[in-house]
Amino acid sequence: MGRSLPVFKPLTPADVRRIDQTSRQILERIGIRIKDDAILDKLKKAGAQVNHHNQRLRFKEEWLDKLLSRAPSQFTLYSRDEKNDLSLGEGEVHFANGGRVFRILDIANGGYRLTMLRDIARTAMLVNHLEHIRFYVIACQAHDVEPQHYHLNDFCNAFNNTTKHVMGGCDNLEGVRQVWKLASLIAGGEERLREKPFFSVITNPVSPLTIGPNAANILSFCATHGIPVTCASAPIAGATSPATLAGTLAQMHAEALAGVAITQVFSPGAKVLYGAVPATMDLRNIEFAMGSTEMGMMGASAVQLAKLYNLPIRASAGVTEAKRPDIQSGVEKSFSNLMVAMAGADCILLAAGMLDSGNSISYEQYTIDNEIIGMVYRVLSGIRVNKDTLSLDVIEQAGPGGNYVMEEHTVEHMMEEFFYPALSVRCNFDIWEERGRPTMLSRANDLVHNILTEREEVEEGLLDPDLLLEVRKAFPEIRNI
Amino acid sequence: MSDFKALSEAVNKGDTKTALVEAQKALDAGSSAEEILNKGLITAMNEVGDKFSKGLLFVPQMLRSAKTMQECTKLLQPFFQEGDVLSKGKVLIGTVKGDLHDIGKNLVSMMLEGAGFTITDMGVDVSPEKFVEKTREVKPDIIALSALLSTTMPAMAQTIEALQKAGLRDKAKVMIGGAPVTEKYAQQINADSYASDAGSAVNKAKALLGIS
Ligand code: B12
Repeated sequence: MGRSLPVFKPLTPADVRRIDQTSRQILERIGIRIKDDAILDKLKKAGAQVNHHNQRLRFKEEWLDKLLSRAPSQFTLYSRDEKNDLSLGEGEVHFANGGRVFRILDIANGGYRLTMLRDIARTAMLVNHLEHIRFYVIACQAHDVEPQHYHLNDFCNAFNNTTKHVMGGCDNLEGVRQVWKLASLIAGGEERLREKPFFSVITNPVSPLTIGPNAANILSFCATHGIPVTCASAPIAGATSPATLAGTLAQMHAEALAGVAITQVFSPGAKVLYGAVPATMDLRNIEFAMGSTEMGMMGASAVQLAKLYNLPIRASAGVTEAKRPDIQSGVEKSFSNLMVAMAGADCILLAAGMLDSGNSISYEQYTIDNEIIGMVYRVLSGIRVNKDTLSLDVIEQAGPGGNYVMEEHTVEHMMEEFFYPALSVRCNFDIWEERGRPTMLSRANDLVHNILTEREEVEEGLLDPDLLLEVRKAFPEIRNI
Repeated sequence: MSDFKALSEAVNKGDTKTALVEAQKALDAGSSAEEILNKGLITAMNEVGDKFSKGLLFVPQMLRSAKTMQECTKLLQPFFQEGDVLSKGKVLIGTVKGDLHDIGKNLVSMMLEGAGFTITDMGVDVSPEKFVEKTREVKPDIIALSALLSTTMPAMAQTIEALQKAGLRDKAKVMIGGAPVTEKYAQQINADSYASDAGSAVNKAKALLGIS
């Protein structure tokens, strides 16, 4: 590891304090609307200022601070094989794909179509295989599964195709409960799951300043059952938050802190991530703009705001409006991934697979994004400067006019010093012609084909067959997988 | 008479306060409501539309101008002669059951309102029954349904069915939209129209009612 994180801070310490002060005023003066009276009652009993009439929850400064200080500054997102456990709050950056789209660009089969359960299995396979995508987010809607059972089917397919940590959005309490039961069975009991939860849940407030009944109940369930959760604020500057970046950050920070604080009412010490998806709108024509430079800048700023309270953050980056893997997607994804990673976000979601403002995915994009993220990790690991790497002896030995190709020093360092892309075209022109003029996209397509056919031919699935039978018996709603 | 320059400028700027003062002045000076509307407000709005289509104005500016025009129209309302057409039509709009997304729907409402339609916005998570109830009450010309989740799109079909059952389907046109919604889906569920964004929603709404 070279230099220590974070190295990119768009806000000065004074800016951070002013934004935070504004957010605290928002929470104290305006408050958050919680559209669930039972939850409001619970919060009131815990010392909140509640106005049932307008369903408003206000946070007095001391109460807010007390709650926020209970939230853990470090915890682990576990994998099922313990090989990909992700520590949060220790300066590591973990990238994941983005979730719950409804459409896929299926290049091999000729175009855009609705997503199906098999796309969850396949994207989980891809993420399991792709080194730099460190955990899996339920990627899409399984349109071939009835609504009451899709969460169960989604997560079961994910578990069967990746051992990495699985995160996903759930529609309602019942969905989370089903997944928790399934995961308990796979873990070998509720207590084992609580000890090392290998799945976590995403929910959202509705900007501005509203938390719906589903989100509130999901937060409560996760907090009391030891499931890591995030209530990710997703304001759109100019539409559901002020058109100024500072104003959007102030509102987002208030919403994100409220989400964290509320989980601590339900269960002190509950594992919660500060959640941030600050996006923008192109006001020329009111077009959604998640690939904007400003979204990256705000994502990086969100890290600074979360770290003011030592909270692990689930940030977002790597989104684009581009409809295909192309120049625009490459530029926009690289830009924001790099900014938010260099700010030191613990988790960066949406960073792989997505296109079309988060409405679509493409298998190829997963492999391309894996490569972009690999480049980002290379940046984060910095330049090692020590006697050995400074190479004075080797330079002397080669002397003026010499070369370094066959030096032992070269062989010793070449593996760790460079990032080796799998998809970038680096061959010379003639060879490029000979190979049929490959591009990053054509190579991505080949790689996808290799990963998927290899996995589908060689292995049946990652869950132990005995366990799978048990799962099927306990959950007849789960389709054959 | 007056060239309505100050009024037109205020509409162009979306400055409602000044526009109201100017409209009142024009009334006081003896201009007819219709004249103020046609030569002042509508001419100004046409300029705004022109600038917008050339990229010189952004949507928020256009919406503010439209709002200014509406406020002025309200002021003029009592002075119109019978036969002066004020509203382009009534639109009942909402996001369907189970769906909380409203940004797109709100933009569609604002644009329709800006274009002269009268809007009744039912908000989000609106059940087919509520749409039926409100349709009876408001008697809209167009019912506009929004869905942002592929999983709530069926609620659009259910809403149309409910309208059918209540004998209201042929009383209003149904227009649908939202990111996962398609022209094809609109045809499948017997909606009358689909629009992919707020701008085209206005054109489609006008087309549905045969106005320009
Ligand atoms: C913002 C957002 C939210 C916000 C909504 C805030 C709000 N006040 O609306 C929050 C965070 C609350 C949210 C929640 C959820 N969301 Co959401 N959300 C989005 C997001 C990122 C942007 C939507 C948006 O506002 N776009 C900007 C506007 C301007 O565009 P638009 O809505 O498409 O509208 C335009 C046109 O479609 C059209 N139009 C729209 N309505 C109408 C109506 C008519 C009549 C006409 C003619 C035209 C028309 O004109 C508009 C203007 O040009 C989309 C992704 C995306 N890119 O669309 C996901 C997305 C729609 N959400 C999604 C999901 C899954 C959810 C959740 C289930 C996630 C969860 N955490 O559990 C919940 C569902 C809550 C619920 N029950 O509805 C998925 C949907 C997948 C699917 N199956 O279809 C998407 C695609 C993102 C994703 N990949 O996860 N979401």
